[in-house]
Amino acid sequence: MNKIVSLTNVTKSFQHKTAVNDVSFTIGKGEVVAILGPNGAGKTTTISMILGLLKPTAGEVQLFDHQPHEKQVREKIGTMLQEVSVMPGLKVREILELIRSYYPKPLPIQQLIELTGLTEQDMKTMAEKLSGGQKRRLSFALALAGNPELIIFDEPTVGMDITSRNRFWETIHHLAEQGKTIIFSTHYLQEADDAAGRILLFKDGAIVADGTPSQIKARISKQSVSFIVDPELPLEKLFLHSEIDDIYRKNNRVYIQSSNTDRVLELLFQEKIGARDIQIERGKLEEAFEQLTSGAKEAI
Amino acid sequence: MKIFQMQCKYEIIRILRNRYFVFWSLVMPILFYYIFTNVVNTNAPDKAEWQAHYLMSMTVFSVMGSSMMTLGIRMVQERSQGWSTFIRITPLSDTVYFAAQMIGQSVIHLLSIIIIFIAGALINGVSLTALEWTLSGLWILLGSLPFLAIGTLVGSMKKVETAAGVSNVIYMVLAIAGGLWMPLEIMPKVMQSIGKWLPSYNFGNGAWEIIRGNMPDWRNILILIAYLALFMLLSKYIRRKQEAV
Ligand SMILES: Nc1ncnc2c1ncn2[C@@H]1O[C@H](COP(=O)(O)OP(=O)(O)O)[C@@H](O)[C@H]1O
Ligand SMILES: [Mg+2]
Repeated sequence: MNKIVSLTNVTKSFQHKTAVNDVSFTIGKGEVVAILGPNGAGKTTTISMILGLLKPTAGEVQLFDHQPHEKQVREKIGTMLQEVSVMPGLKVREILELIRSYYPKPLPIQQLIELTGLTEQDMKTMAEKLSGGQKRRLSFALALAGNPELIIFDEPTVGMDITSRNRFWETIHHLAEQGKTIIFSTHYLQEADDAAGRILLFKDGAIVADGTPSQIKARISKQSVSFIVDPELPLEKLFLHSEIDDIYRKNNRVYIQSSNTDRVLELLFQEKIGARDIQIERGKLEEAFEQLTSGAKEAI
Repeated sequence: MKIFQMQCKYEIIRILRNRYFVFWSLVMPILFYYIFTNVVNTNAPDKAEWQAHYLMSMTVFSVMGSSMMTLGIRMVQERSQGWSTFIRITPLSDTVYFAAQMIGQSVIHLLSIIIIFIAGALINGVSLTALEWTLSGLWILLGSLPFLAIGTLVGSMKKVETAAGVSNVIYMVLAIAGGLWMPLEIMPKVMQSIGKWLPSYNFGNGAWEIIRGNMPDWRNILILIAYLALFMLLSKYIRRKQEAV
């Protein structure tokens, strides 16, 4: 495998907070990878370290087998940051010309227009007068200006309307077909599922799952058995069974999560806890995702 | 090299499009010049010398202001709007970026000097020898270095409003106390002795000497170099502290 990005035991601590905790992964040429996780999971921090904007507290980041800040690396990457920014005092076309001049083999302006949906009107507008949508398009064009091999986006679709969003993913798809390596972060499972070939699922600064969307979905959408039971009854003993992944109460019902619901039923009768109104539920994917990433399991 | 040229070109375009620059660095000094050499009667013993003297004062005033304010405020703007962060991910090196800003700024200064000098020649028929024009212009161009360093200090502030406010106050204090608006000689003794140590006075005095057929004082040169070193060290120290995250 042709390694493009590699993180080895990377940790980033701020004064009071470890934002990324001992993360390791490698990304090969042509992969489209989603960094998926809720707000505060450490996505931006991880991306900032990949881009060389933040220095890891421990561990190592390599891009194309070099340090992220080396010039030869910078010539091969393009990026769109979470906070979109523009250079005041210049028109869109001028900014594009300027940034293109930094790279050895930039994309022609015409191609940037086609890829990003910038209009002729946009091109003549002064940067400080751009609307949110126009800024996003400019920012996208700036990411592609140097014809990068590795493209990194931090929450790219936040603030885009449906049309621009669709157009954006279309372009990403097109770029992926050309063999570009693409990394993007998102907190929408749907987006990661649709656009990525691989998902790195982040929670509290660590990777909790790494796989194809279908693998991840299989992992997080667990089946559960739910029932009504005397609220005074302690349920700790059920935890002793390794087949049970999680137990929680919701709306007066107890939910037992497991990939093997048959076994759970067996256990319920075996332990004689007096469960009533037993149902087997196949969890909704989005719900399961939320539950997995929202942290605090409800204490039993 | 191509990168450097492009960067310089666009830095210059950006400054020229900045209305504050055009107002503070061109309109104001020329207006002041007109008022204090034609409208207000200053009772100068040698009228021609006063007209040349005040032309130097106003050119110095213009270049000093754009060194501190235009540069400083733009740096804060670029940082607060995240542009500096984006630039760090591109192959543009910090050195080229910084050098282009300085060169762009200097080209703008050269332009301001020429425009204000021409204004002086047109308004009052100020006539200096070719050598005097050239030397005073060069002096003002080079003497702006300590003020560019102040600009980078202003540029390390967090908010545009603070940067604009603070630099404006420093600008006015330096201009008045350094004798750019009225000669130091007509100020109280205390003010005079303080003024002589300010970078603005030493900047102005070099040019005032040149139009009187002298060379700038060694004292002027040494004091300006000392200020340049001081502000550069300070700027470097602050940058180092800010980067330590
Ligand atoms: N500069 C910083 N100083 C202190 N804490 C930070 C800083 N940057 C991020 N954090 C914290 O680190 C955690 C991860 O943040 P971030 O990487 O921005 O998450 P995400 O992009 O996934 O929403 C958050 O709890 C955030 O508050
Ligand atoms: Mg983020």
